[in-house]
Amino acid sequence: MKQFRKMVYPYLVWSTIMIAVPMLLILLYAFTTQGNTVTKFLFTFKNFKRFLTDTTFLNVLYTSLRIAVETTVICIILGYPTAYVIAKFSEKAKLRWVLVITLPTWINMLVRTYAWTGILQDDGVINSFLSIFKIGPIPLIYTDFAVILGMVYNFLPFMIIQIYTSLTKMDYSLKEAANDLGAGPAKTFLKITLPLSMPGVISGITLVFLPAVSSFCIPRMLGGGSYVMVGTIIESQFLTAGDWNFGSAISLIMAIIIMISMYITKKVDKGEKVEGASV
Amino acid sequence: MKKKGLALVLMLFVLAALSLSGCGSKEKLKIYLPGEYMSDDLVPNFEKLYDVEVDVELFDSNEMMYTKIMAGDTYDVLIPSDYMIERLIKEDYLQKIDISKITNFSSITPALKEAPYNLFDPDNSYSVPYFWGTVGIIYNTKNVPFEKIQSEEFEIFRDTDFAGKIYFYDSERDAFMIPFKSLGYSMNTSNEDEIMDAYNWLVDVNTTMDPITVTDDVIDGMAQGRKDLAIVYSGDAAYVLSENEDMSYYTPSCGTNVWVDAMVIPKNASNPDLAHKFIDYVISYDVALDNTEAVGYASVNKDVLDTVTAPGGLYDGNEAYLPRTGYEKDEVFNDNEFLRKKLSELWIKAKAAR
Repeated sequence: MKQFRKMVYPYLVWSTIMIAVPMLLILLYAFTTQGNTVTKFLFTFKNFKRFLTDTTFLNVLYTSLRIAVETTVICIILGYPTAYVIAKFSEKAKLRWVLVITLPTWINMLVRTYAWTGILQDDGVINSFLSIFKIGPIPLIYTDFAVILGMVYNFLPFMIIQIYTSLTKMDYSLKEAANDLGAGPAKTFLKITLPLSMPGVISGITLVFLPAVSSFCIPRMLGGGSYVMVGTIIESQFLTAGDWNFGSAISLIMAIIIMISMYITKKVDKGEKVEGASV
Repeated sequence: MKKKGLALVLMLFVLAALSLSGCGSKEKLKIYLPGEYMSDDLVPNFEKLYDVEVDVELFDSNEMMYTKIMAGDTYDVLIPSDYMIERLIKEDYLQKIDISKITNFSSITPALKEAPYNLFDPDNSYSVPYFWGTVGIIYNTKNVPFEKIQSEEFEIFRDTDFAGKIYFYDSERDAFMIPFKSLGYSMNTSNEDEIMDAYNWLVDVNTTMDPITVTDDVIDGMAQGRKDLAIVYSGDAAYVLSENEDMSYYTPSCGTNVWVDAMVIPKNASNPDLAHKFIDYVISYDVALDNTEAVGYASVNKDVLDTVTAPGGLYDGNEAYLPRTGYEKDEVFNDNEFLRKKLSELWIKAKAAR
């Protein structure tokens, strides 16, 4: 394998240029302000203070986190049973179902989300159908419901595939052992299957929560332009306001919040494992 | 790992091949303009006429275009709006237009050579107009009586009789223009009190009127009659009016935003000669006629304007097509960094206030 090690270098160079340098730039911008004629950058905490002392911005942050958490929870509730059922199928059926689950992701996300705007309109498919029974029109588009629906729809496959993978990798003999020792189906599930599939759930949470909290195109399309999320504020700072320093500071605050929440989920996971082992 | 390396090498080859193929025999022209803003036939016809190759790229907003060209992308022709051109001139990004090469320049409609339409580039040293228009109110005549529009004008967007029935335009400039004009201020004001008055006006709209804040979705939404009232650009209104006969367009007497989008050539353009030919081609009679009929915005060619608004013309009787001229209270946007940043932040806050 040693002779292949050199092959890694292009990738290292690539990731340095494409990932590390932009991150450092964000860091630089976040802690500086556009300087005067003498120096180009002035060190400051002003950008952070401006975000963290403004109730409007904090409310937006709260909304973003709330929507992301709700999306993640719904994805687990829908994704876990689906993954569980698929994992029980025969090998051939498994492959077919995984294909079905991933099929929508072959189409561009924007196109799929745009399709929902047509479905949810006041004169869209659902309301047209309801109007046959003289119901509605129920306001669907430009609501919390529409945004969460759009996010769950887009991110659910990531959750299902992660949980499915960890369920299929599980050692089946452990379940047999539990049954032999007299554990019922419910107890087997709670003590064996669930703890062993937790790594899948954790990485599923990562893959759903991250894009959900920073998303701005799904809220824009399904929530309307007045549906402001943190991603919207960051976008406007870079594109319209031209205040890259403030935009970078908000990005950094988001990055820190995400890192903390990832750390907590990892901790919770470990805690459960220790508990499971002691039983 | 080996496969990855191989794939990388292949990718590099493909990239090299692509960039080399650019050095073909044909002359190239790169243009950058807003989406859905040019007749589909225009570019292919130009390519055939001059035996050249034209690359077209599209942008969502002037600000997006600015970010991209400042990041180093080069183009031969850009089509930004007035205030953005003013900014690009200030920043010394544009080259002067050689007016002797624009043989059709005399056909530009006189209104565009007068205030306020010419203020961003008074003697067209740097720009040749492309489309122009106003911002106004489009309304459903079945549900909104004309008298109400006429008496309330922009204030109708705070009239709770129409709560839940309005579209608002999602761009800080256009959004703030409305209260500025409605309250009798200049839309280029730097007076903090006036800005805060306008901000409170918008918060009022967002908290009491339940508006749907969108950009281009408004065109489809109004054509389908999903709401009763909306803020739109005149050209989009002209299209909606031709699709839905219940809709009508009103240019408020309190004054509004009038605008010009114009063609400019950056200093670093690689083919300025061909860029001049392209600009001249776009404003020539036949091309401009086809373009305005396809897009719906008002042509800059005075003969074309006469043709399409004459009895039997495509926009005969369409009140949105021909922009208002010579009205004192109408203004164009000025480039103003302070206002730009301020409005951008306040608009996000006004939207988040609901």
